[in-house]
Amino acid sequence: MAEKLLEIKNLKLYFNEGKKNEVRAVDDVSFDIYKGETLGIVGESGCGKSTTGRTIIRLYNATDGQVLYDGADVHTKKSKAELKEFNRKMQMIFQDPYASLNPRMKVLDIIAEGIDIHGLAKSPKERMERVYALLETVGLNKEHINRYPHEFSGGQRQRIGIARALAVEPEFIIADEPISALDVSIQAQVVNLLKELQEERGLTYLFIAHDLSMVKYISDRIGVMYFGKLVEIGPAEKLYTTPCHPYTKSLLSAIPLPDPEYERNRVRVSYDPKSHNYAEDEEVKMREVTPGHFVLCSEREFELIQQEK
Amino acid sequence: MEKILEVKDLELSFDTFAGEVKAIRGVNFDVLKGETLAIVGESGSGKSVTTKSIMRLLPDSSTRYKNGAINFDGKNLLSISEKEMQKIRGKDISMIFQDPMTSLNPTMTIGKQIMEPLLKHRGLSKKEARTNAIELLTLVGMPEPEARMKEYPHQQSGGQRQRIVIAIALACNPKLLIADEPTTALDVTIQAQILELMKDLQKKISTSIIFITHDLGVVANVADRVAVMYGGQIVEVGTVDEIFYNPQHPYTWGLLSSMPSLDLGEDKLYAIPGTPPDLLNPPIGDAFALRSEYALAIDLEERPPLFQVSDTHYAATWLLHPEAPVVTPPPAIVERMKKFPGSRYYEEKHGGES
Repeated sequence: MAEKLLEIKNLKLYFNEGKKNEVRAVDDVSFDIYKGETLGIVGESGCGKSTTGRTIIRLYNATDGQVLYDGADVHTKKSKAELKEFNRKMQMIFQDPYASLNPRMKVLDIIAEGIDIHGLAKSPKERMERVYALLETVGLNKEHINRYPHEFSGGQRQRIGIARALAVEPEFIIADEPISALDVSIQAQVVNLLKELQEERGLTYLFIAHDLSMVKYISDRIGVMYFGKLVEIGPAEKLYTTPCHPYTKSLLSAIPLPDPEYERNRVRVSYDPKSHNYAEDEEVKMREVTPGHFVLCSEREFELIQQEK
Repeated sequence: MEKILEVKDLELSFDTFAGEVKAIRGVNFDVLKGETLAIVGESGSGKSVTTKSIMRLLPDSSTRYKNGAINFDGKNLLSISEKEMQKIRGKDISMIFQDPMTSLNPTMTIGKQIMEPLLKHRGLSKKEARTNAIELLTLVGMPEPEARMKEYPHQQSGGQRQRIVIAIALACNPKLLIADEPTTALDVTIQAQILELMKDLQKKISTSIIFITHDLGVVANVADRVAVMYGGQIVEVGTVDEIFYNPQHPYTWGLLSSMPSLDLGEDKLYAIPGTPPDLLNPPIGDAFALRSEYALAIDLEERPPLFQVSDTHYAATWLLHPEAPVVTPPPAIVERMKKFPGSRYYEEKHGGES
């Protein structure tokens, strides 16, 4: 088994904790991320997938639970220097390439901001060279360096966002719906770029999305979230061919594919959380169905899944 | 079949500070009674502008209709007065927009918004309109329709809001419904529900639908016919099977190849290189030629006409010219063509019996 880069243990994030309007956005979620892999997280809007990503990178403080990065807890108190070192290793690419770039900064300064903060360039010349190299990596030109974000198309802006994330040479990148706002033809370009970068630099990705076909394409493993809970996680191929949790089945049956013949015969199954009929004393937890493939279920359901195989 | 709408040689420009943006450069299509025509293409290809010009929703100050006609119900929609247009809008032709939050009025109750077209176009009394509105809410599958009447849009979820928008659009049994990316802002499960609802309603009231989207999965699901737009022109049009199993235009090939399929284990995704054309200075010839590996010399000089492939299938590419060289489409497309009786790959596979 590959080395664990991140361990997420019983992570909880409640908004308005203890109040009447408490929202359990992330509710007792545990999973690991291995070095060099892409873990995809899918689910409907509001299921907590973005919040999970943001809590891992400490944009939110966890209500409970741990996020261990290389064995060190992300959420414990840290000195400024420790925090800086930590921030360098983990970067994020956001969904909306229009909102995530400062409209008043030039591309040069946007990309070099991280380099400056972490003191990665010793001279202005080196700083410039680094930015040039990054632009080239993501498929932009040197001439783009003095332009402002509004002068670029959506796909190009997302490339700038990727260059910015790469500037501090991170090990781990959280990509929160990085292609949802892009056109189909541009989506493929960005996804291919992310894949190439991963091969070159041995990056680890957490890829959050609701477009399941793209997620399957880019991910080694996929986790499915529903109402703050992780309901199923396993190798991408397994999850698509033999989904076990009824929610995963319903999600897969809802994806329209670009194949009219298939579409005419597709039958959608709907998911009703009440259908589980959990008794009060039943323990509902993640159980391993096949190696590496976990499903949130009760003992009774687990036996049923085993029989089905 | 009866034609509901006919768009003829539509040419349209926007005047901007940067110059004249030639958004629509000669578009022709028909919509038949009871069918769903899907228009696909990337942002900036002109798909939304085309439909907005049908509804005459583009700002008069900056829009210039340079040529063409939009014939609906014996009238050319481009030449009638705004007052006449108001009688058609929301009654004979209605529209569903992408973002259900911005297309509903946040300060009006749901009931009032659904009753509005009923009062205005159908001249019902308030009481009749109310009963009708509740029926409409039931029709679109809203639970507890009576209670919803007094609620506001912000109290509803995204999927429910889109149901309300659909209820408003259907209030006057329109002959033509234009749906501009109606499910793009929704989750897959909710999207599936809304698509099922639209297909269901179409069967009941037999309206024609123009469905704009960039999601080819959705197109395969809803469309009877498909028009592919690129750079302000329709580059290919045909039945859904013809477009998905026997595409002819290199842009359609690119679009279909850049979608990952769930069952094929591709190593690398096909990406169309480059960016969409700049319509301030639209390219001469085939607008897609600069991004296409199949481009011929003539593509850079002269715009290809629509070549006929079958009675229903047309494509604007010089590759269909009798003197053009025979090219092999990308592998994913060849795979698709094998399923289609009449394409050259299908015949090869079955020993050319036809």
